[in-house]
Amino acid sequence: MTTRLEPGAAPASQPAPGRDPDVVLDVRDLRTYFHVMDGTVKAVDGVDFQIKRGGRLALVGESGCGKSVTALSIMRLIDQPPGEIASGEVWFDGRDLLSLSDREMRDVRGGEIAMIFQEPMTSLNPVLTVGDQIMEAVKLHQDVGGKEARDLATAALRDVGVPAPERRIAQYPHELSGGMRQRVMIAMALSCRPKLLIADEPTTALDVTIQRQILELIKVVQERTGTALLLITHDLGVVAETVDDVVVMYAGRIMETGTVEEVILEPRHPYSRGLLASIPSRGRRGQPLHVIRGVVPNPFRMPEGCKFEPRCPYAWDQCKVEEPELYDLGGGRSSRCWLYDARFRERLRRFEAEGSEFVPPEVLTELTA
Amino acid sequence: MAERVIRAGVELTPAEVEELELERPDYEVQLESLNQWQLAWRRFKRHRLAVIGSVIFLSIVAVGILGPVLLYYDFRVIPHANEIVYAGRAPSWVSGSWDPPLLMGETARLQRDVFTLVVNGARLSLAIGVGATVISVILGALVGGFAGYFGGAVDWVLMRIVDSLLSLPLLFVILVAAQFLGSGSWFSLMLIFGFLGWLGLSRLVRSLFLSLREEDFVDAARAVGVSDFRIIVRHILPNTLSPIIVAATLSVAGVIIGEAFVSFVGFGVDLNQPTWGNILTNSLDFIQQGNWWWAFFPGFAIVLTVLSINFMGDGLRDALDPRSRI
Repeated sequence: MTTRLEPGAAPASQPAPGRDPDVVLDVRDLRTYFHVMDGTVKAVDGVDFQIKRGGRLALVGESGCGKSVTALSIMRLIDQPPGEIASGEVWFDGRDLLSLSDREMRDVRGGEIAMIFQEPMTSLNPVLTVGDQIMEAVKLHQDVGGKEARDLATAALRDVGVPAPERRIAQYPHELSGGMRQRVMIAMALSCRPKLLIADEPTTALDVTIQRQILELIKVVQERTGTALLLITHDLGVVAETVDDVVVMYAGRIMETGTVEEVILEPRHPYSRGLLASIPSRGRRGQPLHVIRGVVPNPFRMPEGCKFEPRCPYAWDQCKVEEPELYDLGGGRSSRCWLYDARFRERLRRFEAEGSEFVPPEVLTELTA
Repeated sequence: MAERVIRAGVELTPAEVEELELERPDYEVQLESLNQWQLAWRRFKRHRLAVIGSVIFLSIVAVGILGPVLLYYDFRVIPHANEIVYAGRAPSWVSGSWDPPLLMGETARLQRDVFTLVVNGARLSLAIGVGATVISVILGALVGGFAGYFGGAVDWVLMRIVDSLLSLPLLFVILVAAQFLGSGSWFSLMLIFGFLGWLGLSRLVRSLFLSLREEDFVDAARAVGVSDFRIIVRHILPNTLSPIIVAATLSVAGVIIGEAFVSFVGFGVDLNQPTWGNILTNSLDFIQQGNWWWAFFPGFAIVLTVLSINFMGDGLRDALDPRSRI
């Protein structure tokens, strides 16, 4: 039932990159390296995923696992040097972004792919008014005059639920709260009706009540405009209520993929299971918080075998020797774990027997709500 | 049966749902909303010396602009030889003779009124100071901005150029340039000071850019598709304006003194275009004859201007510092 992918061979079910009209973003074997004084950091090391038109996908993982670098590579916002997109293809709407000229890429940025950053407090320019910044985005990508750009900016602010947008437009960022600024960022991102919205931890810097509002907002606007969403987060709670598909990353690699229900209800990688178990839950009140022991490996001293092996409670000798491939488990699911090699069926049975007791009930209610 | 609504694992009553759905009120307290310039102006006004300095400086500028209206004599008119009766007369309020009125006394050879010269000198000295500063600010901001923003090889090349220019003895370069390019015109002197005065400023701007380019809003601007040039000029440069304004203010004072020096040693502007520097130069020979007014008033004008500019720069430095909260 599990098939082992031939290294380098594209799965037969996938058409040639960029050809499927239903797929807006098709990332193939993306590798982004940073050449620094101590050596080369392989921040993203062979990542593949696809997002359908209007679809929602989350990249999940701990800090430093390559989520943000993946997003910045798609946008080609990696500083080169020290960064280098060593290989790969980023097919967006029929074009490979990595082969575009700088000029063409500028038109894509903001116009067709928009991005929201983690820190709304620092992502807006303190010396320009909110209106100036939205209008700049509008004018860069649409052929409109000053008056029209102003109207569009006002409308964009109204769309994201900013009260009194006519007044807000003349204000400076420091006059707005964190939630309002993130709304402004979303307004700016969506003002040009992009086909893809990349949200890099859009709620991490906000307090919990505002987080919910902003997530709801992103979802509502995304659905209304038919924009595809690439959400980057370390918070599986956020994932559960926002996206359709999940890609779990660790140390620059994809560890597991699947729909959000599948990955959360039945994680097929010890790392995903560990992440889920680490979500604090009311149901486990009084018990010590579950953690994944250890830390992300030093990028200069990556483990020989599976990158998660030193921290994995299920690891055995095999994991130390050789790195597993991303096993295609059928139905869009895949896992980079030796458990899914045909040779280790017995271990897999034990792994699965432990079941989904780790999933916190709050996340389950989100899923079923 | 009503639909069950669950948020954060809690089932909500219909009333609570309705509350959630209501448009979020604007919770922000409506304070008197001031932008950074209004805040800076407020802080500047509390800096007494700076206010005095700017009043004096603006008066000097006004005098320079309104010069011809204020002047009793035209400094260009050289009187006929037989009209020279009392060349080198003291100011009227010293000598007591008000015919003709001589506010600051008279020069010797050409029977020029010192007041006329000082007022006309204000014009050119300020024009040289401000003009040279404008040139050096533009050059310094562009060179520093590009070096700091792009870093790497661009930065290395530009900064090595700056280093090598800074290692030249600038004063002599200015003297030589004034001699060969200047030919006594105030305009070329202004250009010389402008094109040689941006070096320090470019280092300042570069260091500001080095830290500002790491700011999130720069990435955000790039993600919107803004070009590098536009990010430098429209997004980062306005953030560096405060220190640039302070440096520029002080540079005006520096150039005025520099011009005075160059003119004083005889490489500057000729007396047909009076600047405070060359008025001083020409007074030299006659100081021993007791014509103190000839040297005193232009010298005093320089001191007053430079002092008022420095006070103003001090006040601006405090007012434009975003960390100061007065």
